[in-house]
Amino acid sequence: MIDRLTRRGFILTAGAAASLLAADSDYPNKNIDFIIPKAPGGGFDNLVRVIAPSLEKYLPHKVNVVPDNIPAGGGGKGIGQLYRARPDGYTIGAIDIPGSFILQERQGGAGFDLNKITWLCSMGKPEYFCLGVGANSPLKTLADLQALSKTRPVKFTSSGPEGTAYGATVIGTKLLDIRTQLITGYKGSSDFVVGAIRGDGDAVIAPVTSLRPMLQSKTVRVLATFEPKGTFPGIPDAAALGKPELGQILLERLIGAPPALPPAIKAILSAALNKAMADPQTVGLAKKFEVEMAPSSPEQAVARIRENAAFFAKWKSSLMV
Amino acid sequence: MLHLWLSGIGGLLQARELMFLTLGMAMGLFFGAIPGLGGATALALLTPLTYGLDPFTALALAGGVMGAVPMGGSITAILLNAPGSAPSAATCLDGHPLAQQGKAGLALGAAASANAIGGIIGTISVLAILPIAKELVLLFGPPELFLLAVLGLIVVATASRGKMLRGLIAGTFGLMISFIGYNDVTGALRFTAGIAYLWDGVHLVPALIGLFAVAEMINLSVKGGAITKDAKAVAITSMTSGLLETFRHWRTVVRGSLVGTIVGAIPGVGGTVASFLSYSLTVQASKNPESFGKGNIEGVIAPEAAINAKDCSCLIPTLAFGIPGGVEMAVFMGLLVLHGLQPGPLMLIDHQVEIYGLIWALTGSCVLASFLGLFLARPLSKLTLIDSEILVPTVMSVALVGSYAVDRNIGNVIVTAIFGILGYLMIRFDYPRLTMVVALVLGAAAERNFHQTSMMSDGNLSIYLHRNVCLVLLIGIVALLVAPLFRGLKRAPAAGLAL
Repeated sequence: MIDRLTRRGFILTAGAAASLLAADSDYPNKNIDFIIPKAPGGGFDNLVRVIAPSLEKYLPHKVNVVPDNIPAGGGGKGIGQLYRARPDGYTIGAIDIPGSFILQERQGGAGFDLNKITWLCSMGKPEYFCLGVGANSPLKTLADLQALSKTRPVKFTSSGPEGTAYGATVIGTKLLDIRTQLITGYKGSSDFVVGAIRGDGDAVIAPVTSLRPMLQSKTVRVLATFEPKGTFPGIPDAAALGKPELGQILLERLIGAPPALPPAIKAILSAALNKAMADPQTVGLAKKFEVEMAPSSPEQAVARIRENAAFFAKWKSSLMV
Repeated sequence: MLHLWLSGIGGLLQARELMFLTLGMAMGLFFGAIPGLGGATALALLTPLTYGLDPFTALALAGGVMGAVPMGGSITAILLNAPGSAPSAATCLDGHPLAQQGKAGLALGAAASANAIGGIIGTISVLAILPIAKELVLLFGPPELFLLAVLGLIVVATASRGKMLRGLIAGTFGLMISFIGYNDVTGALRFTAGIAYLWDGVHLVPALIGLFAVAEMINLSVKGGAITKDAKAVAITSMTSGLLETFRHWRTVVRGSLVGTIVGAIPGVGGTVASFLSYSLTVQASKNPESFGKGNIEGVIAPEAAINAKDCSCLIPTLAFGIPGGVEMAVFMGLLVLHGLQPGPLMLIDHQVEIYGLIWALTGSCVLASFLGLFLARPLSKLTLIDSEILVPTVMSVALVGSYAVDRNIGNVIVTAIFGILGYLMIRFDYPRLTMVVALVLGAAAERNFHQTSMMSDGNLSIYLHRNVCLVLLIGIVALLVAPLFRGLKRAPAAGLAL
């Protein structure tokens, strides 16, 4: 009896292993769903739409990579859907960090755990933030802003509490010793930057790529940049401000798959994604969004997430207010 | 300035550009006519195909799509009560009753000509205000947007004369539904009952497909027969009758076009508000408000003129600051960036020829699509003679598939079905759908902007009195609320004399 069971077990195990191997060599044989937990049209969405056609080129078999926007719940629904998808390599997704960590903490019931996601690679180099005011603002320097915060909280326009920009504003202003009140709920970085220009709030903290064009058109004045080595002439950077931690406030865009993705499929996807991101067409198009492509291994992506998560964990109590 | 306008036209009048413009127009008509697809889907599908095109040609193609979508949407809105996209839902209110009276050709002709004229007036207005676009966009912050939403709700409520209480009930119900889902300001999920689909609220397009198309098909299957029984009226519809109606109601066209232009230029408001606001203002201004909803041709002309005028002016916040007015504009922004045209204040300075080319492409496509609509008015109106046994299952299938196609979600189909039953009950018990739709569209925006205004002013309501645009909007709100009282007072002495 035992022999029969063992034999049956062996046959079943061997069968399962054979079918898994066959599945790997056959992978992919149907379309891959690329979840974007953001609305269509934003920088995040555009970047995925740039990478998707190149990814099709570098997969072992010809299939379509279909971008799928699921922005509900500040992105929580899309990430939750990615997390719960079958780990068969046919569902991948783009995730922004640290916004998604904040989201996970806020929406405990959202049903995802970023620590268990199978990370495949990062999508471009991380982005730094900077602090700006409208060009007509009476605030001319960071010292003016700090002085104002001694009389009343300085009002910053920002995204919803789940956004990376929200996290950057809370942490950045604490590091710069500015008392703040956030005006939240703007839809995307363009919206809250324009809010500050219009005078809805006193100032704004936004990714460098969002403020640079506004600075060039003289609609915004940048008072400080969080870059370790500043790229705005005459504007104090993290080093000059004596706050090197500002350089750790980064916007990371990563690509992940559901937990427990088989290693063989993970390797195929990761390799194809890295090739797609090094493709001259992708690099050229991404540059138009001011994103510099920087291929990375899954291990590098995990290391960056851990670093980012550890930094934001220090500020958890401030972010969850 | 003139040489830039001419350069834009000159760039467009090349064989290649004209070919892509016409291709875009054909796609726009098709995608606009199928409920649930719309311009955003067409642009999303086209964007990767434009990689190899130069920016001007890509803009001609995109302009072609965006200019023709409203005409496509009007066709199904009038014939089948199935709005191709959300703004076209306002056209259903009087367009479909006209089709039921055998006057589908008249309604289609009027829609087509109002479309074209609205597009042209919108273009002229945008060309005039483009040099001050930046300043205009910056005039509207959260306090102004909140008051604008309130104004919209009041206009619609006061437009449902004779059914005020029912209108308010429907509007309140719409507001309650609009609060479902994720709160952008606080980051909290509300009233979702644990259903993940509702995290993003009730999606507008599936709800509108249900409220209009499905409700109408249920109604038709209960009544039996075809949409119209007046085959004779369908046969005598001429291509030009609708065109003449539009010219006869030129005030409605101008008012609709101006409403569309202004609403389109305000960031984040969108075309649905433009079309419904234009419709409601026309009802307000009419001497026969009770005839609306029963097949008044002005009820077709007003929203159609607004939709196309809005299409041009909503380029202003998109191009000047990268703030899209809706999903279609958001996808279009992606296309711009892919072609090296970064939306923002610099674009208005560095890429003027491309911007003018795009405006002309939009206008050209809108006029071409309208001509096509005029020519097709008569043959298309014969669709209203098809028996319900064939029409109902066909339209129901297209409506439900279209609803699913919005974002490939089965939850949309359930929403469409629920709103279909609700819409049928509203028809059956004579509750106005207009107030409910406008509340659905404006509710979330009103709430968000009110919260933001409170944060800006630390809860001090006097902020509304210290801003010029707010004051103008407040005066408008007070005038709307007081006007019926004055009308009542004027009528009372007259009634007293008669006694």
